[in-house]
Amino acid sequence: MVVRRKTFVCRLWFAAVLIGSLYAIAGIHARAQAAALTGGVRLAVLPQSWQDDTGKVLSLADLSGQAVVLTMAYANCHRICPMTMAGLTRLQAALDAKGTHAEFVVVGYDPENENPSTWRHYRQSHHLERSNWHFVTGSVADTAQLARQLHFELWKYDEHVMHDSRVLVFDACGLLARELGPKADYAAGAL
Amino acid sequence: MSISIQRNFGALCLVGILAAGPCVASAEDASSDTVKVLQQRLEQSIKMIEALAARVQELEAKTAATSAAAATAVVVAGSQQPPAPAEAARLQAVEQQISQIETANAARQGDDSGLAVHGFADVNIGNHNPFHAYEKGASLNNLDLYLTPKLGDKWLALFELNFEVDHNGNFGVDVERAQLGYQFSDAATVWVGRFHTPYGYVNTAFHHGVWLNDSLRRPSFLMFEDQGGVLPAHTVGAWLTGGARGESGKVLYDAFAGNGQQIIGGLIDMRSGGNEHGKLIYGGRLGYQWTAGSFEGLSFGVNALDSKINDDQVPENLTDVRVAGAFAVYDTDTWEVVSEAYWFDNVNLYQGIGTHRSEAFFAQIGYRLPYFVPYARYERARLDQTDQYFAQQLTGGSYYRTAAGFRRDLNSKVAVKFEVANTHYTDRTVGEINEFLSQLAIRF
Repeated sequence: MVVRRKTFVCRLWFAAVLIGSLYAIAGIHARAQAAALTGGVRLAVLPQSWQDDTGKVLSLADLSGQAVVLTMAYANCHRICPMTMAGLTRLQAALDAKGTHAEFVVVGYDPENENPSTWRHYRQSHHLERSNWHFVTGSVADTAQLARQLHFELWKYDEHVMHDSRVLVFDACGLLARELGPKADYAAGAL
Repeated sequence: MSISIQRNFGALCLVGILAAGPCVASAEDASSDTVKVLQQRLEQSIKMIEALAARVQELEAKTAATSAAAATAVVVAGSQQPPAPAEAARLQAVEQQISQIETANAARQGDDSGLAVHGFADVNIGNHNPFHAYEKGASLNNLDLYLTPKLGDKWLALFELNFEVDHNGNFGVDVERAQLGYQFSDAATVWVGRFHTPYGYVNTAFHHGVWLNDSLRRPSFLMFEDQGGVLPAHTVGAWLTGGARGESGKVLYDAFAGNGQQIIGGLIDMRSGGNEHGKLIYGGRLGYQWTAGSFEGLSFGVNALDSKINDDQVPENLTDVRVAGAFAVYDTDTWEVVSEAYWFDNVNLYQGIGTHRSEAFFAQIGYRLPYFVPYARYERARLDQTDQYFAQQLTGGSYYRTAAGFRRDLNSKVAVKFEVANTHYTDRTVGEINEFLSQLAIRF
């Protein structure tokens, strides 16, 4: 009986150590990724050929001269992207309250399954139809390169796009000014 | 004057940057560390330029009167100096070089060489093992490594290596998926190798990534073969898959054929090296998914498969396993509703005891709140115990289960899940168990 109880306690300790290790590894990895984005990133050196949800060509360099809020998302995401969009909406409200203008750019993670029509429907169904919001898609190569340059996590597990939630703010000169993580206080005035 | 001074300071600093790293800029095979160092220098220099510009403005403010007087004197004297063309040209050249460095850095960051390793892992604690209910306490489930080496634009490869605990409690390694494919277009991709048999929704939506699933586990009858599933979840053969996209949705189809499976030691084996009798599994799936409009998020489909599955008994049994299925899914930002049903019409070929009908179904409903996802599931399997296909499987008994739980995402890579479940076994063994389960699931 005593031996069985000891075995059970050992198993619990073993499981607790395993859980702690997994959580620590995941946390360290996430923090390392967040810290890896060091300065010098400009809108002008990112891939430039994008198509917005109306089918028009959009170049990120064309947005210089005004603050740009940029994130990545995919239309079929029901876990992370809705929270990111909610954060952007709060940020937009905060900017409106301050009378500050910014262009919002949402780059599609999954160009193989998304096109301007996808995002047009998405904007309508999610009530994100402001004219300063641009939902853009590009080629697979450009999307992957932009994700790498800006350190957005992006890999596909079959049809699932595995990604994180990050929002980047570029200043009027096109320089990366700050990053908002998933737990950032978007409404506190990011710009 | 002030612009000129600022430009001079800026030009000096920019020249300094270039002097510090010309080798880096020109070397085609510069290491990523060198690139990072260069980026840091660039950033530091930009900050230095900004600081110097501020200092210049401060000095200019102090000497404003003197400067104005001097300028006036120069104008009066009619001897205003023209802009130095050499200096302007040099500044322009420096700016171009900086731009080239940035572009080169961007290109290096875009380098896609190497093979990324991603995957999933989970650890479970409860009064039972969620995947082998006769075990109790803490349990490892799987460490799943996912590899997709790039072979070109059209050629595809996918490997999924799973380190998992088997039904005996031993750790083993399994190549769960090994697929080589060619993508003709969005409408058609053909795979050969070992893949997840395309039936229903769950088997090809969540694969081995436990983290993906809102619930702690699949319905029991849909689990993988070594965890208690009663369907051939893996097939070794060829698989054609694709879809046609319309304005408001898309049609999805699958067709596949492969080695007929075998029941060995009470578990379905997918015969990765071929089977002894040379018989096949074949089948298909057809579905429609709304991507816009009032029904956005809804999808439904039907599937069927036929497999000749023998076992390791003496004398051997061979069963023509004939399965028809249907599924419906409603997956939105708020709701996740999944339901699947299967009807078996099996024929025991060798022992000549006729046709056996069985059925299994489940329905799960989840609601996505901002910080957690509660869910409830009901599942039932009525499996004919005179059918050798079920009789020879360790977990081929009938049961029904009611479960409720929730998922909480701790961050974008870590989720914790809890589930309570009550399971009744109704024929092979009669009884019930209550399970209190927790799981920590990650992706990486």
